[in-house]
Amino acid sequence: MAETQTAAAAQSKEPILSVRDLGVRFWVGDEWFTASRGLTYDLRPGEVLAIVGESGSGKSQSAMSLMGLVPRNGRASGSAKLGGKELIGMPEEQMQRVRGNDISVIFQEPMTALNPVYTAGYQISETLRVHNVMGPREAKEEALRLMRMVEIPDPEERYNSFPHQLSGGQRQRIMIAQALACRPRLLIADEPTTALDVTVQAEILKLMRDLREKVDAGIILITHDMGVVADMADRILVMKEGQVVEEGTATQIFSSPQHPYTRQLLAAVPHLGEGSGTAAFGSEAGALEVVEARPEIPLESDETYVHPGGEAGGRAGETPALRLAGACIEYPAVGRKKAFRAAHSVDLTIGAGEVVGLVGESGSGKTTIGRSAVGLIPVVEGSLTVDGFEVAGKRNRELRDVRKTVGFVFQDPGSSLNPRLPVGESIGEPMLLHQGLKGAELSRRVEELLDAVELPRSMRNRYPHEFSGGQRQRIGIARALALRPKLLIADEPTSALDVSVQAKVLELFGHLQEEYGFACLFISHDLAVVERVAGRIAVMRHGHLLEVGPSADLVADPRHPYTQRLLAAVPVPDPVEQRRRREARDSMIAATSEDLAG
Amino acid sequence: MIRFLLRRTLSTILVLLVVTFVLYLLLNRALDFFWDLRASTAPNIEDLFASRERLLNLDSPVIVRYFQWLAGASGCLVGACDLGTAWYQGQEVVDQLPGAIMNTVKLVTAATIFSIVIGIFIGLVSAIRQYSGFDYFITFLSFLMYSLPVFWVAVLLKQYGAIEFNNFLADPVLGWPAIIGTSVLAGLIWMGALGGSRRRHLYSFLGATAVTFAVIYAVLAFGWLNSPSLGIIGVSLMGLAGAVVITYLSTGLANRKALWTSLTVAVIGIGLYMPLQNLFWYVEMSWLWMLLLLVVAVAIGMAVGLAFRGRDPWVSARTGALVAVVMAFFVFVDRVFQEWGNYNSHPAINNRPIATIGAATPNLTGNFWITNLDSFTHLLLPSIALILISIASYTRYTRGSMLEVMNQDYIRTARAKGLPERTVIMRHALRNALLPLASVVPVDIITMIGGAVITETIFGWSGMGKLFIDSMNRSEIDPIMAYIVITGLLAVVANLLADFLYAVLDPRIRVNA
Amino acid sequence: MSTAHDAAPGAAFSAGAGTTTGSEAVKGLSQGAIIRAKFLHHKGAMAGLIVLAAIAAFAFSAQGVGPIPGWWIHNHTSSGTVLNPGGAPTWSLSDPFSFGAHPFGQDEIGRDNFARVMKGVQISLMVMVIIGVVSLVIGTTIGALAGYYRGRLDSFLMRVTDGFIIVPTIVVGAILGKLIGGPGFSFFGLPLSAYLAPLLGVALGGVLWTSLARLVRGEFLALREREFVDSARVAGAGDFRIIVKHMLPNSMGVIIVNTTLLMSQAIVLETALSFLGFGIRSPQISLGQLINEYQTAFATRPWLFWWAGLFIIVIALCVNFIGDGLRDAFDPRMKTIPSWRKMKRADRRVASGAGAEAAAAAGTETGAAADTARADDNDDKGARH
Repeated sequence: MAETQTAAAAQSKEPILSVRDLGVRFWVGDEWFTASRGLTYDLRPGEVLAIVGESGSGKSQSAMSLMGLVPRNGRASGSAKLGGKELIGMPEEQMQRVRGNDISVIFQEPMTALNPVYTAGYQISETLRVHNVMGPREAKEEALRLMRMVEIPDPEERYNSFPHQLSGGQRQRIMIAQALACRPRLLIADEPTTALDVTVQAEILKLMRDLREKVDAGIILITHDMGVVADMADRILVMKEGQVVEEGTATQIFSSPQHPYTRQLLAAVPHLGEGSGTAAFGSEAGALEVVEARPEIPLESDETYVHPGGEAGGRAGETPALRLAGACIEYPAVGRKKAFRAAHSVDLTIGAGEVVGLVGESGSGKTTIGRSAVGLIPVVEGSLTVDGFEVAGKRNRELRDVRKTVGFVFQDPGSSLNPRLPVGESIGEPMLLHQGLKGAELSRRVEELLDAVELPRSMRNRYPHEFSGGQRQRIGIARALALRPKLLIADEPTSALDVSVQAKVLELFGHLQEEYGFACLFISHDLAVVERVAGRIAVMRHGHLLEVGPSADLVADPRHPYTQRLLAAVPVPDPVEQRRRREARDSMIAATSEDLAG
Repeated sequence: MIRFLLRRTLSTILVLLVVTFVLYLLLNRALDFFWDLRASTAPNIEDLFASRERLLNLDSPVIVRYFQWLAGASGCLVGACDLGTAWYQGQEVVDQLPGAIMNTVKLVTAATIFSIVIGIFIGLVSAIRQYSGFDYFITFLSFLMYSLPVFWVAVLLKQYGAIEFNNFLADPVLGWPAIIGTSVLAGLIWMGALGGSRRRHLYSFLGATAVTFAVIYAVLAFGWLNSPSLGIIGVSLMGLAGAVVITYLSTGLANRKALWTSLTVAVIGIGLYMPLQNLFWYVEMSWLWMLLLLVVAVAIGMAVGLAFRGRDPWVSARTGALVAVVMAFFVFVDRVFQEWGNYNSHPAINNRPIATIGAATPNLTGNFWITNLDSFTHLLLPSIALILISIASYTRYTRGSMLEVMNQDYIRTARAKGLPERTVIMRHALRNALLPLASVVPVDIITMIGGAVITETIFGWSGMGKLFIDSMNRSEIDPIMAYIVITGLLAVVANLLADFLYAVLDPRIRVNA
Repeated sequence: MSTAHDAAPGAAFSAGAGTTTGSEAVKGLSQGAIIRAKFLHHKGAMAGLIVLAAIAAFAFSAQGVGPIPGWWIHNHTSSGTVLNPGGAPTWSLSDPFSFGAHPFGQDEIGRDNFARVMKGVQISLMVMVIIGVVSLVIGTTIGALAGYYRGRLDSFLMRVTDGFIIVPTIVVGAILGKLIGGPGFSFFGLPLSAYLAPLLGVALGGVLWTSLARLVRGEFLALREREFVDSARVAGAGDFRIIVKHMLPNSMGVIIVNTTLLMSQAIVLETALSFLGFGIRSPQISLGQLINEYQTAFATRPWLFWWAGLFIIVIALCVNFIGDGLRDAFDPRMKTIPSWRKMKRADRRVASGAGAEAAAAAGTETGAAADTARADDNDDKGARH
């Protein structure tokens, strides 16, 4: 057990950071609002301390207060000593020498965290040159060394690239290089992989794991993702509403959580392989050999592989709720921007009453398919039918009938409800427009729907901003179900939500599906979530449908190498299993890249 | 990129054509081509009407006349310009234009540059000191300036900036309450702008008050207003101070090489002061000479910066060049001021130096310095009027843009890197905050040209605006059309420039287009 | 509770109540109510609103509207005997409570300046409001259509907008002003005085709408990408319903704020044109026309000049402040950042024990006072500004 050994070794060293009774407050309205308080912990070199909690738990703000970077209306109290130096209340001039030098940060969203008008290389050199006596040439060399260390391809060329010219993963690598530039003693990683696709996330996590051995810094990992925690952390602090509710080593927390909140949190996390009751692909290193024994699909293949039994299911004898046959979907040209083909000849059928999950990374075209089913994006070739109606080639006005039979749940519940309409009116709008319902009848139906999504009827006169994320998504579902659609398209319905809220929304979704019996295209980037709700799963990449199959088959025995990679990259919330999966994954990638090289 | 600019330019020129057509029709309705004959009691009045009709070709339909005008105007493309005639004065429009354009460009350029620089600076400070007394003061002041009608300000300026000020110059005595009041006000403003802890507030207040008081007192006590000049001492002091300030703003005083560079450049400038005076004395100067000397100065500044070597010589070179420009400016101003006595006592001026009318004093002869001083005294008031009305928009815009940028993630990153606040603001925030300003400037220049219509009329500045108003009053359609075409073209150029600037400043655009 | 969440720094707390669904009844204000409350708390805007309302009430009541007579004894045309030498004001700072017969003075033929200024304020305000309304209608319509339909229509409408922008407004205004006041123009045979002011307002409104159109277009382009628009379309809403019911209410902030700011521009433009002689002209009265008429008298009768100018500035200033207040109220990012002084004061209150309840309410249970006191010390040393 290599990791317990490093953890044990770390225990013996002197702590580099000792935090005592740290608290952060904000002056809001006319009173102090406590974001976090009573934080006490030690961090030793080489150790990864994960601070876990849902949004609003104060985990980020307390870490930022270590560098004196709380917003203007915030204040830190308590004590935090870095190598004996008190950080809280340190004068600004001294703090500037600490920032970037002794403590550095990796921020969540590398697109906005890097200055758009300076090159990536310049921004790394800049950090080097603030804290070291260094000329521009030396700084460039050092920056290039750092870029090589974080495995950026063509560092010389990338040095002169602007952030928008880099991919998300490359940007995050630049961010990491910049954070490591001055060999900090403390590294704060604030949701370092949240904005990234799962395969990129796996690479960045691997990089960070490799680096922690090289740099010997203490790492504070702030995240809400239990899988990431299981992958990285030695010790874990669980925070809830600004306070630490539980603390312990990774194994302790995952295997025997004490506090009810921790237990609830862990229970809420969807676990790959759990839904189908089989072991997910990649959990056993041996799975690889089985794959190799069969006719191999090349990684670049765009053909659709259909698992046995992967054809449309659902209630027999009814018209399929959704059928795509050779459908190509294009974003139309706007101005001088050329038309963009987001989906290439996709064949997919969803039977009546069946839930199909559609999985892919950003830019895979999964959302495009959902949107084209309601006519928001035109189908330019092939056919797309919804409950027998042809959608392809129809004009906006002709789509009214189709829209009666489809409900759509949008990703961001904050943006999909008109902020200026009371939610009752939003829910009632489809019924008003399609069925001409008015007055008492409309009001009765709205109330029924609110009951169905377990929201109090009295809330119908409130405005969206008064609701929490989970409540808004319930409203979004209520609205989508208003016309009792035959097909529901759910576009990442839970990805903006915290895990515990997500669990509740998924549960509600399951009940409603049983009750209403609609078919559903459930679009998500999260395989574990999809596996939980869907009977069949379809995988997309770059606008091509790669693989379709029953959930259990696809998760346990994926055939397309891309699906295999995708599955292997999903971190599971269990440190022991995750380590196994990681090793299996590394060997698989090594194998395939050898194949590619050969 | 070039295709994009070309497309845009072409489409705007097309729009301009349509605009000229519509305005031609409107003008034809609006103008009374017989206004001077209406009250006439001449016996041959009908003949006069008839001959006017022939003169202006009023028999043919207006559309025909438009195309005749257009044909003449498009001759400009091949060098055979015919923009028509200002019939009342019997002058070719082509002859009227060059002088008018020159005058307007002179007025608007100076005013635009000053208002952009000052506006950005004030907006920046105001944003950094958000919600402070200084910020509120600036906000109020910029609203006040937004609300000022330029014609009203211009009339006031004429009265107080010229007539009363000239009276004051004749006998420069200021009461104690005025001196102390001004000093305290200056102290308060500096205190607000510099900010900081309570103790720093107090120090900046006391310091600024004392300095202002000393300056006013010295100016009055030594009769500086009657023979204003900086002299070698003034140039030295201001040059050294300028060197320190520029270094602070561009690299920070911690960069010793840059500091030494700028101080050295300032000292070289001081050393060159006397030799330059000799040069100015023996050789008749011109703007070409000035440009040449400026280039030499910049070269010296850069050379010094590079000579100091250090870790990044080019940063020092940049600072050195900036300091050199400032030194050159001080020497120039000093030399111009040396002529003040001669200028003031010139019979054409008669000790009333600040002018209220026109672009130059008639009958004034003098060397390069005197004529420049003369244009300066004429430019002063109309420029102030224009700057006052347009500075506010830059201030507000910079402030808003800065506040928005300061909330961005990359500013937090810059702070987390350990960059000093000065670098965070000047390098990371200001650069991004100025991007949207590129799209405001062209619109604002058009507004400024519009403002110039009024300013020129009031100050008798014979530029395009005055030409427009006079032609409107004389119902001369051709000069009006010329005015519209030229301002329109200027707008096209300004827009083009803005697009180009935007592309240069913002790497995201460069690639996408 | 919910307002506290909305104002919380960053998104960190926005989902603070997100873990509980339904059970926690969130009592909150509607968005309109929040905006109203923010606006009412904006001191500058309230001051502007009150002063502007006072000026309008004063001007309209003093000179009357149409056939209804006002309370002021003089009117703007009748001349009388010149009271003070040169017609100097009978109201002065030395005795501010005695207004006299001609508080703002008289002109050279004895007309009462107060009556003339009030009449000018009436006309100028009227023109300003008409310009505002006309620009609002044109700008919003064009901006909304361009932003919603994009493509060809957008290009066409934006080229039209460019056409208005490339020539200075004052130039187009002067031409239009000359046109409607010129001999070749008559409006249903009405006398010039009846239509000049309203028509000038309409004409200038037809020139000033461009900035609003551009902003509304930008807002619509952004809103178009928002999911609730797609959501409405999926719900079966047509273009008209989406524009009117979903997008316009969400761009109300931009529209209201910019119409207000446009009106401050409008009054300055109208007065400038009248000053140049292309707007309201004698014997009609507006504030700009008054200044034009009296500018040569500045040295001898400065009061004729000052009062008219003062009213232009005060009106424009009030409108600007109202616009600023509206902007702050509508801007969701606008957070009231407290002054350090205010926070310190609250600290002291907490430290002294008087505010223990407040501290508990803020979620700090025990040791709040000690905690706060320590924070206070820290901030004295390392306050970031």
